[in-house]
Amino acid sequence: MAEEIKKKILVIEDDLPVLQAIVDKFTREGFKVIQAKDGEEGFMTAKMERPDLILLDIIMPKMDGLSMLKKLRAESLWGKNVPVILLTNLSPDDDKINERIAEDGPAYYLVKTNWSMSDVVAKVKERLNRP
Amino acid sequence: MKPEISKAFYKSLFDNLIDGLAYCQMIFDAQKHPVDFVYLEVNKNFEKLTGLSNVIGKRVSEKIPGIFKSNPELFEIYGRVSLTGNSERFETYVGPLSRWFFVSVYSPRNKFFVAIFQDITSRKKVEKDLEDARVAARNVLEDLSGEKAKVETASAKEEAVLMSIGDGLLATDEEGHITLINTAAEKMLGRTMGEVLGKVFFEVIPVEGEKGESIPVERRPMSMALISRTTTSTTTTGGYAYCYVRKDKTKFPVAITVTPVILSGKLIGTIEVFRDITREKEIDKAKGEFVSLASHQLRTPTTAISWYSEMLLAGEIGDLNEKQKEYLQEINHGNRRMIDIVNTLLSVSRMELGTFTVQQESVDIVAIAEDVLKELQIQIDEKELEVEKDYGSGISPIESDQKLIRMIFQNLLSNAISYTSRKGKIYLEIKKMAQCVHFRVKDNGCGIPQSVQSEIYTKFFRADNVRVLKPDGIGLGLYITKSIVEALGGTIEFKSKEGEGTIFSVNIPSRGVVKGKT
Repeated sequence: MAEEIKKKILVIEDDLPVLQAIVDKFTREGFKVIQAKDGEEGFMTAKMERPDLILLDIIMPKMDGLSMLKKLRAESLWGKNVPVILLTNLSPDDDKINERIAEDGPAYYLVKTNWSMSDVVAKVKERLNRP
Repeated sequence: MKPEISKAFYKSLFDNLIDGLAYCQMIFDAQKHPVDFVYLEVNKNFEKLTGLSNVIGKRVSEKIPGIFKSNPELFEIYGRVSLTGNSERFETYVGPLSRWFFVSVYSPRNKFFVAIFQDITSRKKVEKDLEDARVAARNVLEDLSGEKAKVETASAKEEAVLMSIGDGLLATDEEGHITLINTAAEKMLGRTMGEVLGKVFFEVIPVEGEKGESIPVERRPMSMALISRTTTSTTTTGGYAYCYVRKDKTKFPVAITVTPVILSGKLIGTIEVFRDITREKEIDKAKGEFVSLASHQLRTPTTAISWYSEMLLAGEIGDLNEKQKEYLQEINHGNRRMIDIVNTLLSVSRMELGTFTVQQESVDIVAIAEDVLKELQIQIDEKELEVEKDYGSGISPIESDQKLIRMIFQNLLSNAISYTSRKGKIYLEIKKMAQCVHFRVKDNGCGIPQSVQSEIYTKFFRADNVRVLKPDGIGLGLYITKSIVEALGGTIEFKSKEGEGTIFSVNIPSRGVVKGKT
C-alpha cells in the first residue's frame, strides 16, 4: 500500500494546553502538524512551511489572527488561496470581525467551546477534500 | 318801591325758593351751650326736602328725636353762627332723615339763624358710587400688578432654568421654525440664537448617522413629532445613533426627545430636548469590549477541559474502566454547563448593551424550525415524545434575523421537551398572517403555576416545579427569548396551567421592523 502523503496542518494558538490538545489529536488522526503560538510566529512559519490548511486563533499576543490573515492574503498567491479555519472563542457578532472575514475569506469560523474535536477534524477533512 | 310791595316780593322769593329755608331761634342751656332750636318760619319746600311738617313753633328735638346725638355739629355750627354773626356752609348727613344736606347758614340777629339747605343725597350717592368704583378699580389694578409681577417672576425663573439646564433645549412653531434655543444647545451645536431663530429647524440643524450616512427629514424625531403629534424619542443603546453636526462640521451622538405642544386640540409647536451621549456611547463601547474579552477568557479553560475529556473518553489515550468513564463524563457534564452559562450570559449582556445587531435577511421560518427539531431529536426520542407539526400553507420567507429566530425556536422547543414527561406530546404550529408570521409551541407538560406566571420572563427565575424536572436550568432562556422577540418588533405571550401544559404564542413581523427605534 502506497504511503499516503500526510496533509500538513499549521496550528496557530496562544493557549498552550489547547494548542497541545489540537496537535495531539490531529497527529493521531494522521496529519503532519506544525505549530506556532502567536500571529508573528504563525506568519513566518506559514510562509516557510506552506501547510495545506491553517487552524487560526484570533486573540493572540504580538499579532492577532485577523491581522495575520490579512497579511497572509496579501503576501503571495499561495497566501491568498491557502484554506484557513478560524478556531476561536470570540463570538462572531462584531462588525469589524465580520468585515475582515468577508474581505479575507476564511473557510469557516468555529467557536471552540461549541465544537468537539472530532467535529473540528471532520471539518478540516471536509475542507481539504474540496478542491 | 313801596315797603308792602317789597315785602310781597320777598315773600314770593321765600315761597318759591327751591332750596329749603328755615328761620330759627337758637336755644342755649345754662352753660351757654347750644342745645336746641325752634322753627319760627319755614318755606314751602322745607317740608319736601326734610319730610317734616307742622314745624312752626316746634323745637327740632321734638320733630327729629335723636338729632342732637346724630348731628351735634348742627347745633355747634348753628350756635356759633347765631352768636358770632359769621355765615357758614357745610355738608352733613342727617341720620334720622337719611338724607344728605348742603347747608348755608347766616344770622340776621343775635341768637337767631337762617339755614338754607339742599338735599344732596343723590349727588352724594353718585359721589360714593364713583369713589367705590375708583377704589375697586385701584384694587383690581393692584391685584393685576401683583399677578403680573408673579407671572413675570415665574417666567423669568423658567427662562433662567431653561437657559441654564445642561441639556439642549429647542422650541419650534407648528411649521418647524425655531422659536427658542437655550445656552446648552447653542454650545453643543456651535450656533448662536441669532443664527437659528426663526429659521426652519431641518435646515439649520443637520443630522447624520453614526457612520456619516444622511438621514432623510421624515426619519428625524422632530418631523415625526410634528406629523404624528406624539412624543418621539431616539434610543440611546444599540445600533445607530443620530448625530448632530456642529457648525464646524464635527459631529456628536445625541439622544433626542421631541414633544408636540397642543393647545385646545391644535398643534402650536414642539419642544425638543437633546443630550450629548458621547460619553454613554464610549462607556457602552468599553463595556462591549470588556464583555468580549471576558468571554474569551472564560472560554479558553473550558475548551481545554472539554477537549481533553473528549479524547480520554474516546479511548485515544488507552482504555478506561467504567468508573473512570463515569467520572470523566461528570467532568464533561459540569464543563458543558459552564459553557452554556457563559454563552447565555454573553447573549444577555449583548442584548442589554444592544451590541448585537439585528440583521435584515431573508429567513425561512419553517426551515429553521425543522432544523432545530432535528437538533433536538435525540432528546425527543429519549423521552418518547410525540411531535405534531402544523405548518400553514404559503409561508414565504420573511425579512428578519436568522440567528435570532433560531434562538427563539431553540428556547421554546427545548423548554417544551425539558418540561414534558415521558411519552408526552409537543405541538408546533406555524401560520402566515397579514403582516407577520405566527407560531405556537404547545406541550402537555408540567405547566407554569399561576402564582409565578408574572415572573416567568424575569432573569434567572425558575419555578419550583421545574427544578426537579430539569435541575440545571439557568432561568435566562425566556428572558432572552422575550428580548429577542421585542427587538424584532414582535410579540410573545403564553397560556399555562400547572399539571396540564403550556402554550407559547409568538408573532414576528414579516418586514423586519425594529420596534421603537427611529
